Amino acid sequence: MAKEIKKPAPPEEPDLLPAMGLFTILIPMLLSMTAFQKLAIVEVNLPERSLMNMQDEPPPEPDQQSLNLSLAITSDYMVIGARGGFQPNVFFKEMWTFRCKSDAQLITHAAEDVKASVEAGKGPKCKDGVEMDVEKYMYEIETIELWAYEKTSEEDPGRVIWAIYSSQGENVPDSAFVDGNNEFLALTGEGNLGLTPPPALKKPGAGVAVATLAENSARKLKPEDAARNIIYPLSAYDLIAKDLIAIHTQFIDLDDADNIIVVANDDTQFDKIISLMDRAKASGFIKVNLAKLGG
Amino acid sequence: MARKSRSYNENVPFSLTSMMDMMTIILVFMIKNIDAEGQLVTQAENLILPVSTSRVQPKEVSLTVIVDNNYVLVDNGKVITTKEVLDQEELLIPMVDSVLKERRQTEKEHALRMGLPADEPGNIIVQIDKNIPYDAMYKVMATCGFSGYTNIAFAVSMKNAGEE
Repeated sequence: MAKEIKKPAPPEEPDLLPAMGLFTILIPMLLSMTAFQKLAIVEVNLPERSLMNMQDEPPPEPDQQSLNLSLAITSDYMVIGARGGFQPNVFFKEMWTFRCKSDAQLITHAAEDVKASVEAGKGPKCKDGVEMDVEKYMYEIETIELWAYEKTSEEDPGRVIWAIYSSQGENVPDSAFVDGNNEFLALTGEGNLGLTPPPALKKPGAGVAVATLAENSARKLKPEDAARNIIYPLSAYDLIAKDLIAIHTQFIDLDDADNIIVVANDDTQFDKIISLMDRAKASGFIKVNLAKLGG
Repeated sequence: MARKSRSYNENVPFSLTSMMDMMTIILVFMIKNIDAEGQLVTQAENLILPVSTSRVQPKEVSLTVIVDNNYVLVDNGKVITTKEVLDQEELLIPMVDSVLKERRQTEKEHALRMGLPADEPGNIIVQIDKNIPYDAMYKVMATCGFSGYTNIAFAVSMKNAGEE
């Protein structure tokens, strides 16, 4: 009699229900603990003259052997001062990018145009033509950019300086490139106010050696990186950062070589102060004081 | 010819394997993203913090002052409107100063009870909306210093935090 071949039993699936229960508890718990936006702090030294101002006492005489570095920002230029002298003004045009609630689109306006429009009782316009709230438009600014301008005189309306930037996202500038002489790959724009990028400014291709203002950043561009580079208005912050790095390197031996005073107008937005503090700290000025312009 | 109807086995067990795969992927992703140290600072509502390249984390929990579009808050309690701060001429904000001095006194008494030095400068974290004018920020900062909180730090949103 032929032996009956025993049919193997189908494999039993493990009971996954308890594991599912555990996962169902773990996932909401982890989700509640996840930080989608990481916060950090920027330490600051107290305003040097806050108490002195209250007592109406004059400021102390500056030490002639010190660097006494200050960085002042006004509504249309920044300037670095040291030892009683000043570097040439770095002129800029302030640009505000709003994210409109009506169409969720980004739109960039010149700050002075927005202010003029608001004075006339009209809020800045979105791409779909909807006007923002005149009272609350200030708090809908998503990014503030300071486009560097080349000016020959105070009366000169100036022209935008365009530069080559690396880019992380779509048309969002990251770091400006410099050449072997530490000069920005930049040219003045064409047309009215230089708002048209100069055709002579070409993006470096793959294999070209470039660097940014960061230390040891020299590298040859990979094809994928070269494809992401963009031509964008040069930021006045970058121009200032370049000068600050040069000053810090030159006066590294002085006692106050790590100190800087950021001086600003009353109406300067906090965002600009933090951007300047970032650039100052990245340039080696780790002790940042704050002061008021004319205060 | 009549079409033969497909017969279904009514005893098909519910398979959780694919669901388990999905859950495992989500769990691993979440564990990777979790910050084991936790956050000592949490962003206040109604304000947008400026983006910064700073990676400095607060070392301890500190008193927080918040300046948003409408109010100045100390430890989440409304103290004065931002408009009033902007309108005043003086550098010192008396209402904020009195609240901060009270808090500083409490901290000093607590430090003494714990046998710690009470004369060390107080730590404070200031959260300011990125569009608040420098005038308001400067007055708040000066008031903090005047009240004994001389270790001042601004809370910022970390740039490219996801790339770490």
